[in-house]
Amino acid sequence: MSFKSYFTRYWQLYALVVLPLAYFLIFRYGPMYGIQIAFKDFNFFQGILGSQWIGFDAFREVFGMRDFYLALRNTLMLNFLDLLVSFPAPLILAILLYEMKIVWFKRLSQTVLYIPHFISWVIIGGIVYQVFGTQSGMINNLITSIGFEAIPFLTSKNEWLVTYLLVGVWQSAGWGTIIYLAALTGINKELFEAASIDGAGRLKRIWHITLPGLKSTIVILLIINLGNMISIGFDRPYVIGNLAVREYSDVLSTFVYRVGLQSGQYTMATVVGLFQAVVGMIFVLGANYTSKKLTDESIL
Amino acid sequence: MNRQHTHNKRRMSSKALVSAVVLSTLFVSACSSNNGQSNPGGAAEGGNGERVTLKIEVFDRGNTPTGMTIQDNYMTRYVQESFGDPNNIDVEFVPVPRSEEIEKLNVLMSSGSNVPDIVFTYDPNTFNRYASQGGLTDVGPLLDEHAPNLKAFLGDDVLEYGKFEGTQFSIPAKRSNTGKYSSFIRQDWLDALGMPVPTTTDELYETLKAFKEQDPGQTGGQVIPFGMTIASAQYETMLWSFIEPLSDEERFTLTQQLGSNDYPTLLPGFKEGLAFMNKLYNEGLISKDFGLDEDKKKFYEDISSGKTGFFSEDDVNLYYENGTYDILKANEANANVLPIDVFTNSEGKYVKPKYAPNGMYIMIPKSSQRSVEAMKYLEWMASDDHLFHIQNGVEGENFTLEDGIPVALENPSQEAIDRMFISGDMAIISNGKQLGSEEDNMKARKLQFPTRYQEDVALAQEIANRDTVEMVVTGRPIEAQTKYATTLQDKFNELIVKSTMASPDQFDTVFENMLNDYMTNGGQAILDERTQLYAELNG
Repeated sequence: MSFKSYFTRYWQLYALVVLPLAYFLIFRYGPMYGIQIAFKDFNFFQGILGSQWIGFDAFREVFGMRDFYLALRNTLMLNFLDLLVSFPAPLILAILLYEMKIVWFKRLSQTVLYIPHFISWVIIGGIVYQVFGTQSGMINNLITSIGFEAIPFLTSKNEWLVTYLLVGVWQSAGWGTIIYLAALTGINKELFEAASIDGAGRLKRIWHITLPGLKSTIVILLIINLGNMISIGFDRPYVIGNLAVREYSDVLSTFVYRVGLQSGQYTMATVVGLFQAVVGMIFVLGANYTSKKLTDESIL
Repeated sequence: MNRQHTHNKRRMSSKALVSAVVLSTLFVSACSSNNGQSNPGGAAEGGNGERVTLKIEVFDRGNTPTGMTIQDNYMTRYVQESFGDPNNIDVEFVPVPRSEEIEKLNVLMSSGSNVPDIVFTYDPNTFNRYASQGGLTDVGPLLDEHAPNLKAFLGDDVLEYGKFEGTQFSIPAKRSNTGKYSSFIRQDWLDALGMPVPTTTDELYETLKAFKEQDPGQTGGQVIPFGMTIASAQYETMLWSFIEPLSDEERFTLTQQLGSNDYPTLLPGFKEGLAFMNKLYNEGLISKDFGLDEDKKKFYEDISSGKTGFFSEDDVNLYYENGTYDILKANEANANVLPIDVFTNSEGKYVKPKYAPNGMYIMIPKSSQRSVEAMKYLEWMASDDHLFHIQNGVEGENFTLEDGIPVALENPSQEAIDRMFISGDMAIISNGKQLGSEEDNMKARKLQFPTRYQEDVALAQEIANRDTVEMVVTGRPIEAQTKYATTLQDKFNELIVKSTMASPDQFDTVFENMLNDYMTNGGQAILDERTQLYAELNG
């Protein structure tokens, strides 16, 4: 096939790709130009080009800050615990939903479980405060009214950690089931019938059919999650966190917000951003490599 | 066949790449040509009497009445007609959300060409940063040449605050009243217990304990004797009363100015103040959740639902129409809140901080081609009755004059109410109403409030102005303050929360740890710089 006829036949496909390509060039690759801010003493009025080069000075300053390590540790800690607690939750929920036979109840629970995902973190923060507050939170009112000591769910660091994790599960687990439920529809129903004829109970069927059917989905999600280990959303720790538990709740995103945006030190914010990007990439590649070795599943 | 296919593919991909590159170049050049045009185009018009555009920042609080916009309303039209048209200027207002003022301003400033000709901020650090990076116009000569009325209005004391290393890089707004805080107590609770109004810190402590034990408000065990948050209005009055009398040198070197407030972190007595707060917390006299309440929402909720017995707050915040006091009275008809002064220092005085005599910093970016017009605008506002009109509206519709002081009408029309929504944010050269003297200013401020509260407002204002501590003027910006202020404000709040919530036997350890953290994150740098500057100025 000559190039001309190839092109007249398929040009629409290329035209379709142009927009996403432009998107990535402009919004993903274009801003990389700004990475150089990390190596410059950024001056608002001179712009990026006019600012002085300072080499790795800003890196030295950031890596010398105790708060940076605290934020880094907290980011990894919260993400890791989240992985332990929040990662299996949608999987378990999806299997539970999948096993349900009453359709209306299944649909209803699915919807009820999704809804928290659509509530903004700011609002969840307000709810959490009302429910878990020590002085006048609903739960503590109940606890004190039956004669026990109030539990500082939000103001003592370990209790806070549990609150943070469980609120995360509440918010995201329902939504997370969608991918698993989609993957589950791909499993051949005959497998289940055959297994039950052979005498496999419900648990055996889940173990030998459902879970293996979800394996690749699980692995892919795990890789994506591991790649995000070093980055953390801003809203959740910022909204749920507070001064009393700063030791645990200050993460890289809130650190960047405080040091970079609020104090106008863009250079330091960029340093942290670049650091996150590099470490994040190492995590993704590492997880991908490991998974390829162990299970033959990978995304690259 | 196979080879040819590969060949085609390769050609295609290089072609795609080329077109992508062309495309992105087009984008870039389109953007830059846009940028290029707006600036010099405007500059060319300046001198020869053609119509020019003046861009002015305005705070957007999201409270625009229907039928108006933040850029087109009674006030903007007034500015256009009274100032713009006679001077052949189109005035354009650039809204900036109040809550993200600094972040948004940073972005505007670094964008170069899109920045308004008049910008402002309340944050002295932001002003210092812009000035030190060379982004601001020296307004000194412009003031001398174009703005005699403005200079007279502000006065030299206020203008001094707008200098950076001796150069007038900003025009500070003038504050009409520098009082900050008063304390308040539930008089009806005192009456129920047969207790007198406390007049010292010790008496207050006994009162708080009685509130806790006897629950005169019948809250069913939910009583909060002392309403507390982690906002400065609630803790500053108490903490400053513990600060020992200082020498000038101590005041200068040990004070830490973060943002627009002086912080007592290193002043002798601060630790004792926190120890007192720790005691109150551990005895259940202040709210367990005070450290979560940064926006004072819970604080107001507890006052208006009648759970709180005593608190400190900005002097007049309770008294707005449908405000906290109104809600409290709706919940408890007999509630009676009395403004009091109660935290005594070692000399028996009711010391408390006050505002600096300036409000926000008004700046003209260096890139502005309209600095003369910008100065003329500020001069216009300071001249004739323009400021008065912006602040008070239309006589007979918004206010009537009594002894030269505008009194808000009891039942203004909706139109009259709507025109005033942006009044405070348009009157940028002044913080609060200006009527010539501080006494009249306070009187006018009082008269803005509902008649039933005016007596209380007057008392609270008086308290706010009693025994106040002035802010320390350093005469030269402290670089470390500019750099570390935001971080340290945060550390300071953390220090308060952690020390207060520690168990009494842990207090010393926690306080020392947190203070240490504060010092290593910039506190020490500020101390060093201030000590050195003091030696320089007095050496």
